[in-house]
Amino acid sequence: MSKAWRVRQGMICAAILTLGLIPLWQATGQAPTPSAPAETAKSDKSGAIPRLPDGHPDLQGLWHNDSGYQAMMKNMRSGKGLAVALGDFHGEGFPLPLPYLPDAEKVRDYRKLHDPYHDPEAHCHVPGVPRETEQPSSLMPFQIIQDEKYVVFLYEYVHDVRIVPEDGSAHPKKYWAWDGDSRGHWEGDTFVVDVSNFNGRSWLDMEGNFVDENEHVVERYTMSGPNAIDYAALVEDPTVFTKPWTIHLTLTRNPAKDQIVYYDCHEGERDVQHYTQSEGNKANKHE
Amino acid sequence: MSKRFVLALMMAAAIAACGRADAQTAKENSYSPPRLSDGTPDFRGIWQSRTTAYINIEGRPADSGTGAAKSIVVDPPDGKIPYLPDALKQRDKNYRERATADPANNCFQAGVPRTNFLPTPFQFVQSVGHLAIVYTDDHAYRIVLPSSIPHDDGIDFFMGDSRGQWEGNTLVVDVTDLGDQTWLDGAGNYHSDQLHVVERYTMVGPDTMKYEATLDDPSVYTKPWTIRLILYRDKSPDARIAEDECIDGPDGVWHHVSPTDPRALRRHDFNAELEAAAKSQ
Repeated sequence: MSKAWRVRQGMICAAILTLGLIPLWQATGQAPTPSAPAETAKSDKSGAIPRLPDGHPDLQGLWHNDSGYQAMMKNMRSGKGLAVALGDFHGEGFPLPLPYLPDAEKVRDYRKLHDPYHDPEAHCHVPGVPRETEQPSSLMPFQIIQDEKYVVFLYEYVHDVRIVPEDGSAHPKKYWAWDGDSRGHWEGDTFVVDVSNFNGRSWLDMEGNFVDENEHVVERYTMSGPNAIDYAALVEDPTVFTKPWTIHLTLTRNPAKDQIVYYDCHEGERDVQHYTQSEGNKANKHE
Repeated sequence: MSKRFVLALMMAAAIAACGRADAQTAKENSYSPPRLSDGTPDFRGIWQSRTTAYINIEGRPADSGTGAAKSIVVDPPDGKIPYLPDALKQRDKNYRERATADPANNCFQAGVPRTNFLPTPFQFVQSVGHLAIVYTDDHAYRIVLPSSIPHDDGIDFFMGDSRGQWEGNTLVVDVTDLGDQTWLDGAGNYHSDQLHVVERYTMVGPDTMKYEATLDDPSVYTKPWTIRLILYRDKSPDARIAEDECIDGPDGVWHHVSPTDPRALRRHDFNAELEAAAKSQ
């Protein structure tokens, strides 16, 4: 088996997971991903939190979200059954049902029932905020590197990156991205990130929940102990939702020996034909 | 004498000792870079090559679009990559077919060292004990772990597996686990999955960094060979690594979408989406 094939096999395996084709995965009995945090550090809510010389909490390390897909996997392993487990992937901190405006809800329903294959994440687009922290980061960790000027988030999933200045500077005027534009500042021991300038294409999960270009997110990262971060993201989007809503997660530190394993998604992609026929025809052009 | 002062003395001695060990290159490395609190050189910032080596690392004549360029290959001195005979034929075939065969056309991450001389900036992210390099193209990044941690084995990555250590003021990065699905430039110069790269990053001024990389791949080259170029700091106040994606466009063709292009913004028209949906059913 060539090295290239092994890499490709890893990517296909990951793509299958992304699509939620869990029975396939179950049948082959493979591990979810090479870096899935199997034995995670226990969330330690006691003890002093580490600090950098500038006095701010030291958020550095590898982190993952214990709910989301992680909860789904655990439920499947405990024999709850696929249907029940699939319904669990948001975890308790995600306030379903979301408060949609009527037209937006129709769009969500249509996408969920008829168009789930156009979930941008399945096409290797970066997931956006807060999806990256909630869902992929429950299977694949992210690493924080922090100095006195920037907090940098390096996500294992699709090598997504956010470089967040800590100076509370203003968002640019002409810039629209999947991950938006992130500007951070400290409020006491909480790192607050204001995220705006989204490109209007992101979904919040693979069930058609979505946001548009008017999304605005305020994330709050607060260490509750040396190995745990309380994460809250206030999401508002006046053209999609009737009111703002908040997602709460607990991020848990990975064991010290863990490393980010590079996740190449689009590269070498040969699985697109499994999404839809029209996508498949596009993919075949590149064979 | 305070503990802190003793520590500082020890650190200075250590830095001096490292400097002596690197005496061979001491003259050109006489610039003393800014430092992090633990004494390691501070490379933080946004950097970019100004060469056109991304087109052809062996240099090229001028054409209507770009000026002539010298080879960035400094060893061997003739500026030519020391290919094995069959590998040279493969390179020439790659060159002829480059319009379709260059992996960059499929928006694959560029690999090492090509990623360091793309015409887009990259950022050194650094804190005491941590180092990563974040590239613009395809939001690729490399986490440079300390060389005390062994390389991962048995798997290839588009951007390889990087382990770094400091030799004086020079960051030396050992890169393995590179695959065979990346090229070295747009002219068909290539490597196999046996490629081993040793990179050397040295600041030679406040806003300039010397970059060298030695490439060893016995299945493609007759001997190891070395490239050298200068990286320049982007000093503009709004310099940033912009989000870059290069994947399926609506036309089924791969291309980059700049986040500063208004076409990158999609304004939702829910009624239009629902009407189209009704028609398609």
